[in-house]
Amino acid sequence: MGTLIVALLLAAGPRQHLGPAVPAHVQRVVTLAPSLSEVVLALGAQDRLVGVTRFDDDPRVAKVARIGGYNDPQPEAVLGVKPDLVLAEPAPSNRGPVEALARLGVPIEAFPLTTVADIEDAIGGIAQLLGVPEKGRELDAQLEAARKQSRDKLQGKKRLRTLLVFGLEPLVVAGPGSFAVELLEDAGGENAAAGADKPFFRWSAEAAVRSAPDLIILCGVDAPPGRPALPGLDKTRTVHLRSTALLHPGPRLAEALGDLAVALHP
Amino acid sequence: MTSAAARAARASALLLPLLLAAAAVGLTVGAGDLSLTAALHGLEPDATVLYKLRLPRVLLAAEVGAALSVAGVALQALLRNPLADPFVFGLSGGAAIGTTVVVIASGTALGSAAFSAASFAGLLPAQVAAVAGAMAAALLVYTLGRARGQLEPTRALLVGVVFNSFASALVLAVEAVLRPEQTQAVLLWLSGTLGYESMPVLASAGLVLIIPIVILIALAGRLNLLALGDEGAQALGVDVSRTRLLAFFAASAAVGIAVAFTGLVGFVGLVVPHAVRLVVGPDHRVVLPASALGGAVFLVLADALARVLFRSLGAEPPVGAITAMIGAPLFVLLLRSRQ
Repeated sequence: MGTLIVALLLAAGPRQHLGPAVPAHVQRVVTLAPSLSEVVLALGAQDRLVGVTRFDDDPRVAKVARIGGYNDPQPEAVLGVKPDLVLAEPAPSNRGPVEALARLGVPIEAFPLTTVADIEDAIGGIAQLLGVPEKGRELDAQLEAARKQSRDKLQGKKRLRTLLVFGLEPLVVAGPGSFAVELLEDAGGENAAAGADKPFFRWSAEAAVRSAPDLIILCGVDAPPGRPALPGLDKTRTVHLRSTALLHPGPRLAEALGDLAVALHP
Repeated sequence: MTSAAARAARASALLLPLLLAAAAVGLTVGAGDLSLTAALHGLEPDATVLYKLRLPRVLLAAEVGAALSVAGVALQALLRNPLADPFVFGLSGGAAIGTTVVVIASGTALGSAAFSAASFAGLLPAQVAAVAGAMAAALLVYTLGRARGQLEPTRALLVGVVFNSFASALVLAVEAVLRPEQTQAVLLWLSGTLGYESMPVLASAGLVLIIPIVILIALAGRLNLLALGDEGAQALGVDVSRTRLLAFFAASAAVGIAVAFTGLVGFVGLVVPHAVRLVVGPDHRVVLPASALGGAVFLVLADALARVLFRSLGAEPPVGAITAMIGAPLFVLLLRSRQ
């Protein structure tokens, strides 16, 4: 599920609206990213979801129509399920098909999912669009409560310098300003890749060695068998996250925070 | 006229210091600043950067550069065509299919099981698949490129070119269903990238590469005679079809092993042999060992350049892009200087 992260490498821009206005009572929603589907599910609007990407693996959407991939949504397939709202992430890679859909009269709402605040705004914004604003506020409050609880537990604990690795070929790590690093800090880590200014970025093996991490956390990626995940860092403690929640910038972030805490302090 | 052995020794004596100098450059430059003094005194992180990152990369570049250049020389002699490049016999296509299959399989349960089994046996699945793909392609081209029981250069060349196109079409088609990060892994491989292998892997790759290189150098005299045409060579006592067969599979093995580690690094096998011939003349007994060293120098330097080119942006282009950017104009220059 590194899909989302590849997407995040490219993702940019503020919340956007394209095409005609969103109807007051949205009945048929298409999502162009699994985490957006999860937002809809968490808001209890499962029955309104009529189209998801081929990367969606939540069992609750197993029977929902597939409308293509993250970068290559198929306009025909989207139109075929007659949506009255398409939820997307603003990214250059899906721009062509998304703009085509808007021209064909489908309302598009695009939410950036880079920081925790972005994600909370997206949850709130989607809740508003679906007419369940109080549910959105509730989800956001739950996440904030989990973050505060985690931070409170940390008092006085030593922070571990940690590399959050989202890709190995090429090496992709989380940087400042990403939800992943914000949660890492909540869980008691310190980002070893602090030098760069992008949320997710490609990094050289030399820079990784130089950052001298205490801990490497592999997020949904795995080293080929028999090799260290990062060359030159074979002696650094390396752990896998116990679930893929951190790869889903949506309602699963509270779960991701727990995963990070376990990885940092087993 | 001095003997070929003496000339080969003289060329090597000239190229070895060059290779050492190139290696020194390769060890000195990289993504970050390195204090050699600190590294040599075992201070971290400099020591790790020098010994575990830069040294393995320089060694890999040298091995792959040598393998591709020697294979290039052999295939050019075999086909009597100076434009032949190591990937021409469908080897790149075969290796690409092999690698793509591994990337796809890595997402499936069966694939994971196979990977664990392979790693238990000490094998690297992607590399094994690339070599297997390249060798299968070589075998296919060899079979289809024969006429009257003999390998016919033109026919084999055409089959190879067509097979490569077929393979890239197949890879492109399959990419449509891959996950984006899998597509990225395949693209990275196709563009030719030097990674970081462990010392035991590099040592075994080096040892395995010696076999085809020694075979080709041993065939050098007969490759010289092939230039006279099949009948001429035959008249001088060369078993033409056997020589072709041996040279063909030795070169294919060298290329297969090289691409297994680095993907498709283009132009090395084309530019280096031409440059070497320009200096030492056409005698394969000299050209082959000199190309091995020259190829190593070329790729080590190209890799060093790749590491520093976009350093300020914190990015690194694939080495295959660098070799092509240097190789294409250099090739034209070499062609023109021959007239």
